[in-house]
Amino acid sequence: MSATAELRNLGGRGSTAKRQNKAAFWFLLPWFLGLFAITLGPMAASLALSFTDYNLLQPAEFNGLENFTRMLGDERLHQSLGVTFTYVLVSVPVQLGLALGLAILLDRGVRGLAFYRSMFYLPSLLGASVAIAVLWRMVFGADGLFNDGLALFGIEGRGWISEPETALGTLITLNVWTFGSPMVIFLAGLRQIPRMYYEAASVDGASRWRQFASVTLPLLTPIIFFNLVLQIIHAFQSFTQAFIVSGGTGGPADSTLFYTLYLYQRGFGNFDMGYASALAWLLLLIVGAFTAINFWASKYWVFYND
Amino acid sequence: MQRRLIFKGLGASAVALPGLAACGTGGGGDVELSDEPVTIRMTWWGADTRAELTDQAIAAFQKEHPNITVKGEFKDWAGYWDALATTTAANDSPDVIQMDELYLASYGDRGTLLDLADTSDFLDTSGFEAATLETGQIDGAQYAIPIGAGMLASVVNADLFAQYGVELPDDTTWTWDDYAAIANELTEKSGGAINGSGLTGGTDAGSIRYWARLHGNELYGENGDVTLDPAVLASLWEYNLGLAESGGIESAAQSVESQSAGIEGGSLATGKIAMGFGYNTQITPLLAASGADLRLLQLPGNAEAAANFIKPSMYWAVSSQSEHPAEAATLIDFLVNHEAAADILGTERGIPANPAMREHVAADLDEGGRLAVDYIESAAAGPAVVVTPPGGSGFDPMIQRYTQEVMFGERTPQEAAEAFIDELKSEIDAAA
Amino acid sequence: MTDTFAKTAPEATQPGPNPAPTRRSRSGFQPVRSIMKHALLILCVLVMLYPVLWMVVSSLRPNDVIFRDPSLLLNDLETGNYAEGWNAFADPFSVYLVNSSIVVLGAIVGNLVSCSMAAYAFARLEFTAKRWWFAIMLLTIMLPIHVIIVPQYVLFAQLGWVNTFLPLIVPKLLATDAFFVFLMVQFIRGVPIELDEAARIDGAGHPRIFAQIILPLMVPALATTAIFTFIWTWNDFFSQLIYLTDPDIYTVPLALRAFVDAQSGTNWGAALAMSVVSLVPIFLVFLFGQRFLLRGIATTGGK
Repeated sequence: MSATAELRNLGGRGSTAKRQNKAAFWFLLPWFLGLFAITLGPMAASLALSFTDYNLLQPAEFNGLENFTRMLGDERLHQSLGVTFTYVLVSVPVQLGLALGLAILLDRGVRGLAFYRSMFYLPSLLGASVAIAVLWRMVFGADGLFNDGLALFGIEGRGWISEPETALGTLITLNVWTFGSPMVIFLAGLRQIPRMYYEAASVDGASRWRQFASVTLPLLTPIIFFNLVLQIIHAFQSFTQAFIVSGGTGGPADSTLFYTLYLYQRGFGNFDMGYASALAWLLLLIVGAFTAINFWASKYWVFYND
Repeated sequence: MQRRLIFKGLGASAVALPGLAACGTGGGGDVELSDEPVTIRMTWWGADTRAELTDQAIAAFQKEHPNITVKGEFKDWAGYWDALATTTAANDSPDVIQMDELYLASYGDRGTLLDLADTSDFLDTSGFEAATLETGQIDGAQYAIPIGAGMLASVVNADLFAQYGVELPDDTTWTWDDYAAIANELTEKSGGAINGSGLTGGTDAGSIRYWARLHGNELYGENGDVTLDPAVLASLWEYNLGLAESGGIESAAQSVESQSAGIEGGSLATGKIAMGFGYNTQITPLLAASGADLRLLQLPGNAEAAANFIKPSMYWAVSSQSEHPAEAATLIDFLVNHEAAADILGTERGIPANPAMREHVAADLDEGGRLAVDYIESAAAGPAVVVTPPGGSGFDPMIQRYTQEVMFGERTPQEAAEAFIDELKSEIDAAA
Repeated sequence: MTDTFAKTAPEATQPGPNPAPTRRSRSGFQPVRSIMKHALLILCVLVMLYPVLWMVVSSLRPNDVIFRDPSLLLNDLETGNYAEGWNAFADPFSVYLVNSSIVVLGAIVGNLVSCSMAAYAFARLEFTAKRWWFAIMLLTIMLPIHVIIVPQYVLFAQLGWVNTFLPLIVPKLLATDAFFVFLMVQFIRGVPIELDEAARIDGAGHPRIFAQIILPLMVPALATTAIFTFIWTWNDFFSQLIYLTDPDIYTVPLALRAFVDAQSGTNWGAALAMSVVSLVPIFLVFLFGQRFLLRGIATTGGK
């Protein structure tokens, strides 16, 4: 694990290791219980099922590596990987950039902060509602608001949500639209920065920009890092919005076939849970690798206080 | 009430998540009504109206059978199948199950549904026509009882025809060529304000089956293998590509949008097209959403060829995991055979498949219901179609994907038809 | 949105044609810049909120108008959708709101207690194989629910928990939402270690340091966790769908989806009305809860 180097630095210091072991055990007891009683069993079962042919309704049959070799020639899987990577690589940076920018803007003495924060956050509350499908069609459909806006500039619109070239773009927009979630975490992180650092900086006569670059940004890096890890994992697992907007199909023409949506179609739509389990474990490897790289890279740019 | 689960753990050759028949009833002999009070679970998909009517029917049933308590569970369509698969896999499925044609064989073939011959003492099927019952049979076993009957129809908006001065077609003679001409004429006379028609097929199994039959072909053969001719499927897409070119049907993007908007938001209900396709029973929500004068016409070519067919809109089935099959069958008997239930349920689940009930409810139908009944009674119908085989449950999203690829010009019809049939075959082979 | 940025900026800086109100902003910036900022923000808000506003407006329209009118103007008020939606199912909608609230409350309490404890251990204690445990914790959130659900259902069914709220709440009490553990770890590590050490010199053990030093200083993280748990649980569909079978204990997302039926028609007016209703509690919680986000070290003072 490349994450290990970073993780080694996680802890406190001093005092005897033994005593900390004991204390840690008690602090972690609920989590240990959850891990061993609830989480690991079903995970192990899904791993075992990934080596079987399992249609949910009849006992699973061992089929070795067949599910994994099948992935090589599965064109829809490759399509879904392409869709998902595009989604992750575009929507995560844009969403986080917007969230960070607005958090900093809002944190700096804007009047009506509470109002703006709530308004920007409102869309995140709607994230998984069935109404999203309708709303998004009203915005990005052929007769939608977006085309009306374009018409003001004399640009001819199109059916953004229903054409294969642009449908994924509307879902990326949908994700960016919910930037309120990471923004709230950034705002909380900004509030967590001890005031004494700013006081020290202003005694030194640092400009606002310098204060931002030498105090705010470094001390916010743990939260930026957290948001990055979280949003990447979330984006890889993105399901609900594509499911609702495309009616579960990943259409038009598989252009919004997210990885988990494909996995779900295989598992439940086609009674192909063995293959779906194998797909899930491939996803775990991919997301795990991304996260590990993230942790490895974090030691070069994330600044911790401890 | 707590069901016992059999958890086999990790077997030598298989991860045996709770398998089958843990509490099967093992033949007709021991299916008996209990003397004790019994609670059974009944599940269906559908919206608020259905939940309300079904709850009333359950109440009426419980009044007649004070010994039996029925717990109704309603879910949305997609969630319904996820929950049913999960609970069935865990050997905890509801007793009475609302079933769809696409999934019937997937469940029936895998032993999770009871052969209703075993419960014939409690569930009387003698009032049904043999052809109707057949639609719920797989290899001779009656896994489900059809609830309602539906039939594919051309839905035309007479208001738009009148507005643009186009004469309503005669559905006893019209052909697909006539259809194309009318569609083009509508688009033209409206000056492009509307399109004559929506896609004429390729979004569900029904439209493919009809087109295949018109060409002397069938989607599935008697034993459930795929017999669809790629050339026939390709010709359906070519027909639509031609109409898209001339403007007779709406653009590929518009039809995707219309489809994902559902009945109420679709092009037909919002008056963007004057002709479309739907099941006769969908006329009720269409009328409500459009506020227009909609009519049901026979599909082009059908009056002569009688290629259309009656499709059970849904079925009732009993889980083979049920501990109370006799009570479950008694409930179904009440729902499909008793006038008291028919009075409550009306045509909400489709025109009743039981002819006696159909006649009974015919007396007081609303406008949509009357149109739907008139249509199914007047339209020519051929023999019943073969039940969708296991592995075919994902048919609709699959055909939609290929249709979109063709209509957006990503594939040629011929190439797409071959690929589609290959994929469908491999799904069905894998499930066999 | 880039268009709006490009368009507003030059206009606002020209003093002539766009006379700026003279009221001085309290933050001490030049008024022009401040107004520019607010104009920009309000424009963003309007664009972003259009879909939400459309939903609210449409919930007040008759069914046969909803899909034909993308505007935000209401001609006449159709409040019937609310009454219809509220009473659409056997139970009034309030039952689903209450059920959702129970699940949400349990989940919040569970996450706050168990995740903060685990986070303290990971952030401040040194123990055997810590980095491996942390990696395992992150791995457990990387499998999609769809392949976990069947074995998990078997497990909970054996415990007799199906058709109760337990499968939705107990896992939260056991810190299975690893995201929040990670979030809190990041926050705790932002708390200066000198504070711990000062307390340790005063003879405080880990429970006391945790309860008296760390917890008060991580209120923003706890508030974030609570708000997120609320929203995710309130909107969570799949696990509630699978574990709740009796309509009397259905939650809001289950009821909302049950409005939609592609085959036999959807009462969209009622569905949108209830979507609005279900949005109210989360919005209120956020409005109320957000002031706790402000209580960082910055305000409680890092003395």
